[in-house]
Amino acid sequence: MNDKRVRALLPIVLAIAGGILLFNLIAFAFGEAPASALRVAFEGTWGTPYGFGQVLFKATPLLFTGLAFEVALRAGLFNIGAEGQLALASLVGALVAANLPASLPMPIALPIVLAVAAAVGALVAFVPAILRARRGVHEIITAIMVNRIVDAILPWTFSTVLGSTSLRTADIAPGAALPRLDRVVPSFAGSAASFAFPLAVVIVFAAMSLLDRTRPGREIRWVGLRPEACRAEGIDVERRMLLAMLLSGALAALAVSSTALGYKGYYELGLGAGAGWSGIAVAMLGRGKAIGIVLAAIFLGTLEQAGLAVNARVPKEAMDVLEATLIVLVAVASRVASKRTGVVQAADPEPEPPRDNPAPTPASEEARS
Amino acid sequence: MRGPVMKIEDIAVRYGDCWSIRSATITLEPGVIHAILGENGAGKSTLLKAAVGFAPRVAGTVRIEGGAGAIGMVHQHFMLVSAFTALENLVLGNEPTGSFGRLDLAKARREAEALMEKTGLRVNLDARTSELAVGERQRLEILRVLYRGARAILLDEPTAVLSPLEAEELYTTLGVLAEGGATIAVVTHRMDEVIRFAGHVTIMRRGRTVLSRPIAAEERSDPKRLEDVLTRAIMGGEPPPETSPPALAQDAKVALSIEDLVLVDAGGKRVLDGLSLTVKKGEIVGIAGIEGNGQRELVRAAAGLEPGVAGSIVLDGARLPAVRSTEDLRKRRRAIAVVHEDRHADGLMLDASVGDNLVLGELGEIDGPGAEAALITRRIERFGVYPPEPARRAGELSGGNQQKVVVGRALDRIEASPERALVVLGQPTRGVDVGAASTIHGAIVKAAEKGLAVLVVSADLGELRRLSHRILVIHRGRIVAELPPTTSDDVIGRAMLGMEDA
Amino acid sequence: MSSIFSLTMLAESIRIAVPYACAAIGGVWAERAGVIQIGLEGILLTGAFTAVSVTHATHSPTLGLVAAIGAGIALSLGHGQLTERARVHAVISGIALNLLALAATRMGLRALYDSASNSPGIEAYRFGPTGATGGAMLLRVLADPVFFCALAAVAATPFVLRNTRFGLRVRAAGENPVATASVGISVTRVRLSALAVSGAICALGGAHLAYDQQRFESGMSAGRGFIALAAVVVSGWRAGRAALACLAFGVLEALQITLQDEVRKTAVGDLIQTLPYVATLLVLALAPRRAGAPEGLGKHAAE
Repeated sequence: MNDKRVRALLPIVLAIAGGILLFNLIAFAFGEAPASALRVAFEGTWGTPYGFGQVLFKATPLLFTGLAFEVALRAGLFNIGAEGQLALASLVGALVAANLPASLPMPIALPIVLAVAAAVGALVAFVPAILRARRGVHEIITAIMVNRIVDAILPWTFSTVLGSTSLRTADIAPGAALPRLDRVVPSFAGSAASFAFPLAVVIVFAAMSLLDRTRPGREIRWVGLRPEACRAEGIDVERRMLLAMLLSGALAALAVSSTALGYKGYYELGLGAGAGWSGIAVAMLGRGKAIGIVLAAIFLGTLEQAGLAVNARVPKEAMDVLEATLIVLVAVASRVASKRTGVVQAADPEPEPPRDNPAPTPASEEARS
Repeated sequence: MRGPVMKIEDIAVRYGDCWSIRSATITLEPGVIHAILGENGAGKSTLLKAAVGFAPRVAGTVRIEGGAGAIGMVHQHFMLVSAFTALENLVLGNEPTGSFGRLDLAKARREAEALMEKTGLRVNLDARTSELAVGERQRLEILRVLYRGARAILLDEPTAVLSPLEAEELYTTLGVLAEGGATIAVVTHRMDEVIRFAGHVTIMRRGRTVLSRPIAAEERSDPKRLEDVLTRAIMGGEPPPETSPPALAQDAKVALSIEDLVLVDAGGKRVLDGLSLTVKKGEIVGIAGIEGNGQRELVRAAAGLEPGVAGSIVLDGARLPAVRSTEDLRKRRRAIAVVHEDRHADGLMLDASVGDNLVLGELGEIDGPGAEAALITRRIERFGVYPPEPARRAGELSGGNQQKVVVGRALDRIEASPERALVVLGQPTRGVDVGAASTIHGAIVKAAEKGLAVLVVSADLGELRRLSHRILVIHRGRIVAELPPTTSDDVIGRAMLGMEDA
Repeated sequence: MSSIFSLTMLAESIRIAVPYACAAIGGVWAERAGVIQIGLEGILLTGAFTAVSVTHATHSPTLGLVAAIGAGIALSLGHGQLTERARVHAVISGIALNLLALAATRMGLRALYDSASNSPGIEAYRFGPTGATGGAMLLRVLADPVFFCALAAVAATPFVLRNTRFGLRVRAAGENPVATASVGISVTRVRLSALAVSGAICALGGAHLAYDQQRFESGMSAGRGFIALAAVVVSGWRAGRAALACLAFGVLEALQITLQDEVRKTAVGDLIQTLPYVATLLVLALAPRRAGAPEGLGKHAAE
């Protein structure tokens, strides 16, 4: 058991160590003494309560988008459309929130807005989902097309439909806003961390637990492992794929809670952009575990905030470079780790005849290992 | 033209933590057909692969006169690119080229024609490989080995996919090549081929070579004795597994009646062509045939996985409705259990736990985690799945135990179903060790004793003989003969070719 | 409306189609060899950035072009190392490649030009007549050396794949890597070679894009790599058809640009920009299921 845990954690440790090394190299290339850049990065994040609050704020949308990528990955699907799903859901969610009566209490207003956003996110995900399930078109290409279409719909909605010039919605009703965390932790004062963070953590743990325990959740995972066997045993493969993709879209959309609802109080063009991509890194680092996703989101949130902290000396884009490199590093490291320890074979007296055509590893497992 | 001498000394091969060959020593001389004989899983194929450097050898030496280029292997699963023409496949890896790396296919064609002339192995060079018949593809593989200039050919179970007549032709050709001085080694599990054609035999058991000697011409005059000697070496003194079908009541009612099943594949070929058969309650019916004559499609049609199939399947007097949705499929599953021939594609999730695999497709039918755990434990115990750990990854099990999971899930579920009627098994013990095979056979017999109709599709005639009340022979998508299980290989073989007099 | 059927329109269509076609041909090379490549977008972007920065530094667009091709090869080989040697899932590697290219070029902009959005202008190739007539525009487009290279790549690809030893081995590696390895061919080496070709041609498209704008803009590939990938799928992984599909995109986009000013005032407005993407979705939805996909796409010769 201990060995197993080491095998799961080793890739993360190696990847993070590699990431820090790379950061130092980049800082050095920009003429900074590596240690001093690191110190600035640390002070701007975990060094002060404000910095830490900002880390949690940056981590919140990544919790949702990371979970979203993970859910689809379980079914063997790559939902790289979270950007578009979140953007359109944010717009519609904020519009609904802005039009709710100001007197509506939070227990009613907030669920309404979140449900609308989730529904819109699922709807946007429906296009690649149905094309994959029914027509076999790869979801990556279609999701990108949908992202592009959403990119054009948003400004069109502002300019043509709403007739506004500012590319932002009206302020949302107070009942739909999520309060800042500094209400209970005063030292977070000034940071944008809101109750969206605990909400996200709860949703991550609840969703992962449901995926592991319920029939739809387990069948989604099985479909990702071997669709042919599932079909032969009477599982509706298409429906499970659709469900996973729609869930994924809905979860990505919930990231609106930390941006429009918990931070700005309205939606403007570009708010929350990039969270969809970072979610992929979160899911890769998270290794299919709820706690993994939470830690990975906090880590990447730290990177983003650190990027802002060091921006004066090292461009904050360096953190995006780091993030992309981390995806690769963790993938390579876990591959190496699983090869090193090898497959634990059952002690069986009969040698197994080797297979000429080894069954291909399913996407959902290969992507992770 | 003389082929090389190959000396393989004390080699060991391991896949993961699993020893495929513990210790094998063999010398292959040119001039005769060298047969390598043994049970499933004894390490025969791996021995050949180790010789050509295709298997992870951890100990021992392989010495080949003239180097590795002097030998070539014909794998059991053909190593051909199906989208290529036969000629493209022939030259792949050894392409004659003009300037700037341009392919000189005209030159290749001339050389190939000459080679075909000399050996008598004929292939349509311009046909797409996917459209070649199995025998033709095999000839193409042998031609490719010769085209590369190799003088030693290692063949892995070459006759498994051939009709008896084609097999005989193959051995004749190999005999001519051997007489011409080539080194020929053939892995097989068919005793009769060894006795008739081999000049030297090596027997493997559980990853070791246990016997290696020439076969003298006079020994062939007493095949019975030779067979005894070889059988004892193969089994290592263990008696062959005994199974026999349960007694069948005289008045047993017909449980399954398939009438005029027709299925046309994407290429317009009638893979099932008016297939009809019946199975009684408690009866085990074996389906014999050369691979690719509609067996796979018959199994899939019974499972409800071939929506394009025409004709009727009548179960207990009621015609089964066409399967249009997953709901229909689940309904059919309550009466019919199916084991598909390719367990890695259609039966098992290698990366899921044994427990998950044992309840695949049944989640809606089990109430609560407690009942599920109990069900899994029962199935593991009943079928002796080893190691008996529900949480273990299915991919870590041996082939035999994986098959126990697949068969166990199907049989245990159907026996508990109130609507149970039929079990259909495709190649239930392919690639499975002797112990697991006898467990699986026992379970099949038990299912029949409980009144289920059983249809077993197998390429292993011995298995069909032991299990079945009747053997039906399938050829080109229809049943062409019905024979008692005591029928000789020869007669069954002729029927498999579709010959009328069988 | 007469502007739709004019030499200007033709010149615009070809000019726009070149980066798409280069990326698509790059995609054909990678995927016919059996490597899933969704990182075309990142290679386009890197090619564009490298071309501009080297041209800016050396005042030689030819050096910029060579450098862009070198960068494309390096990135493509990096993808190959990850998928073929380290056995990272190709989709993950491709996503990382795209993110890396986007971030690294932006970091490069900051480092070299201290700008978050674009580079300073450069002097790219200038051949052909000046003037604003349709004929002159067409000649300028056709006389561009980058266009010429791209055209050669488009024309040569089907021939090389069909008629050379290298092409045969690339196709074999893509169709059945196990069988290819069994005849003594190193599938990894064949695939890496094909990826080098793929990266070079794709980066060519990036250079064309940048020289056309005479500067680099952050994220200027704008999804072209993905549309090119869609073209590869729709064309059944065939180079000639993929190039034609890209030309169709060029026409569509040129049409959209021509119509944009008139349409913008109507209710449709910005939605006209979605035309190429909606068209791609429709074609993908209506095209037959994955016809022509290499059978060994994403598979390996041995565990």
